[in-house]
Amino acid sequence: MTDPSYQQPAYQPPAGDGPSGPRASFGRRLVAAIIDGILLGVVGGIFYAIDNTLGYIVQLLLTIAYLTYLEGSPSGQTVGKKAMGIRVIDFRTGGSIGYGRAFIRWIGRYVSAIACLLGYFWMLWDKEKQTWHDKFANDVVVPESAYPVQNWPG
Amino acid sequence: MLDPGELRLAGGVMLAAGLALPVLPGHPSLQCPLRALSGLPCPLCGLSTSVEETVRLNLGDALAANPLGVLLVLAALALLVLRPARLALPRAVMPTALAASWLFELHRFSFL
Repeated sequence: MTDPSYQQPAYQPPAGDGPSGPRASFGRRLVAAIIDGILLGVVGGIFYAIDNTLGYIVQLLLTIAYLTYLEGSPSGQTVGKKAMGIRVIDFRTGGSIGYGRAFIRWIGRYVSAIACLLGYFWMLWDKEKQTWHDKFANDVVVPESAYPVQNWPG
Repeated sequence: MLDPGELRLAGGVMLAAGLALPVLPGHPSLQCPLRALSGLPCPLCGLSTSVEETVRLNLGDALAANPLGVLLVLAALALLVLRPARLALPRAVMPTALAASWLFELHRFSFL
């Protein structure tokens, strides 16, 4: 059962030309991704220094665990997203997307990246500011100021 | 409705990358995963080269890599200088630009 403290404003039908609610900016999402990339890169790099194959496997498993657990948690925040005050929420309910959809979101990142990151840039002109992996997991990334987090990771 | 502030930031990052990347050690660049996997270029292939050459005023090389890069640099400069408060594009502009860019790249890599 969902913790009542994580109840979020429910989905509102779009009005006008803009998104249906507050959305995280491109800049904050970019910096959050850089922070997460550095964190995961440093840890993976240590194992790469020991052995390339070991480094690849550790990096892959660590990235899956990190993104699935933290983005699927009630807060929907990785370290980078927490630092930038943004979070992942369900597009319809405003609640957590859960671990299953967070895993789908991780897979979706590969699709977003396959055409020179076109799926990431998509948020710049998308009505709901969604990347392709946001669409696959049916989530939106929002500012914490509009959708407060009680505990991290929750 | 597009967000001019978001696009201004993205355009600024693009221009800064276009200026900085060629002078960094090893000239970092993004290798297209689609092209690496399948040989097929994607709609954004050639853009980093095009933007880097445009900001250095090598327009011939920029146009040869991808004409969309020249347009993106001009659009970024316009956004940074004119700072429009509102920005609206017809819905068909982005799909058309991406489709045209893809056709150009498919032709450049001899698929068309």
